[in-house]
Amino acid sequence: MDTPPLWFDRVTVGDGTPSVVSLEVPGHRAVCVLGDEASGVGSLGRYALALDRPSTGRVLVFGENLAELPRRAALAFRRRVGYLPAGDGLLQNLTLYDNVALPLRFGSNRSEIDIHGRIQVMLTMLQLQHVAKLRPARVNEEERRRAALARALAFDPELVILEQPFDALTTRAAAQILELARGGESAVGARRTVFIVGQSLPDVLGPRVELRYRLVRGRLESEN
Amino acid sequence: MLAPIAVVGTHVARQVARVGALARFSFSAFQAWGTLPAAGRRVARRVFLNQLWFTALQAIPLAIVLSSILSFLLISQAVRELGRIGAVELIGTLIVVAIVRELGPLLTALAVAGRSGTAIAAELATNKVMGEVDALEGMGIDPVHYLVLPRFAAAIVSVFSLTILFDAVAILAGLVAALANGMSAGHYFDIVLRSLAFRDAGVTLVKGLVFGTIIGTIPSFHGLAVRRAATEVPIASSHAVVGSILAIFLCSALFVAVS
Repeated sequence: MDTPPLWFDRVTVGDGTPSVVSLEVPGHRAVCVLGDEASGVGSLGRYALALDRPSTGRVLVFGENLAELPRRAALAFRRRVGYLPAGDGLLQNLTLYDNVALPLRFGSNRSEIDIHGRIQVMLTMLQLQHVAKLRPARVNEEERRRAALARALAFDPELVILEQPFDALTTRAAAQILELARGGESAVGARRTVFIVGQSLPDVLGPRVELRYRLVRGRLESEN
Repeated sequence: MLAPIAVVGTHVARQVARVGALARFSFSAFQAWGTLPAAGRRVARRVFLNQLWFTALQAIPLAIVLSSILSFLLISQAVRELGRIGAVELIGTLIVVAIVRELGPLLTALAVAGRSGTAIAAELATNKVMGEVDALEGMGIDPVHYLVLPRFAAAIVSVFSLTILFDAVAILAGLVAALANGMSAGHYFDIVLRSLAFRDAGVTLVKGLVFGTIIGTIPSFHGLAVRRAATEVPIASSHAVVGSILAIFLCSALFVAVS
């Protein structure tokens, strides 16, 4: 049996009334888990990347528990996963271009020319060329989200984790973000595995998210 | 009855824990020199140069003003007062011991701590509050490599260089003061150079390195110690500058005690 890209194994989330989440995210699918702020659903992405640790349970990414890896190895492993944090997490003192370039400059031995070429492709794909030289504070919410996604996709990862990616976006922009995260279609489904956490999912995106769950009263309920 | 003891005990334990955390952080910052990936050096160098611009180059006018005023006032008074009792030769000791060895590194470090220490703490705290530190971690970039190491290195280089500048300007301002009070340039340099030992210059430079390390470490530690509340940013800046000043004075006293 293939190792799932992401597997939450009896992971406890939420503070008030904690829930135990067991979920296997199959490859080449877009999967979302929704829930209100108190449900703790927003922690799932952080647990997957071992930015936080759950009180019980474990999360396996491509079969590896990042929380158990030495720090250097965990940092290197995270480059295999695209991560769009809630609130974009763009560095405010860098232009959008430099934000997108940062993971490539820091985490690969590519030459500056190669990096420039890759960034140009990303910026064109995400329609950011006209604002590439601006800092995050000078562009709108949608452009910031696009830039954060471009940064998350810089290494062309197999798995993308998106935290509240559609908040405050128009339906059109949300649909574009989702399609870019999926990375196109392959014979087995989406080219990438996409894991989304948030409070809501625009109705129009429903058909493009193959598996939808909601964390309600401590239980993970399927919405398909 | 035990309540006051418990309060004091809790406070002491918290402070000890904080010092322990600071020591661990400092160790990890030193350790980061060796683990910075080759690809990251280019980016870290760029951040380092930016920091150097702000911490060292932009602080040059401040260092020159502080140094020249201090030295001019001190040497003017000294030439006048010591001249009355025929002990004008002592201005050499005054320049070397008081300014070059003690006040030069101390005032330079205090100026940099006040100017750049607060900026480092506020910037890193804002990075943390805005989720930028988590985003770096999520991209596989160690925040110590990207945020701390360049600031740490820039603080050391800056304080070290500014201390040399401070002392050089102090000696020149002392010359102006001496000339203004009727002493010849030859006599002034003769007195100063006779008093200046290699050891004094060495102590000054070591102090510059140590104070630079303090300013590179303590503000970074307080900046990254905030959680997610914007209200913590000014608190972190305040803790950073107070902690740095305290550490600089303690180290200065330690230097006097051991040298």
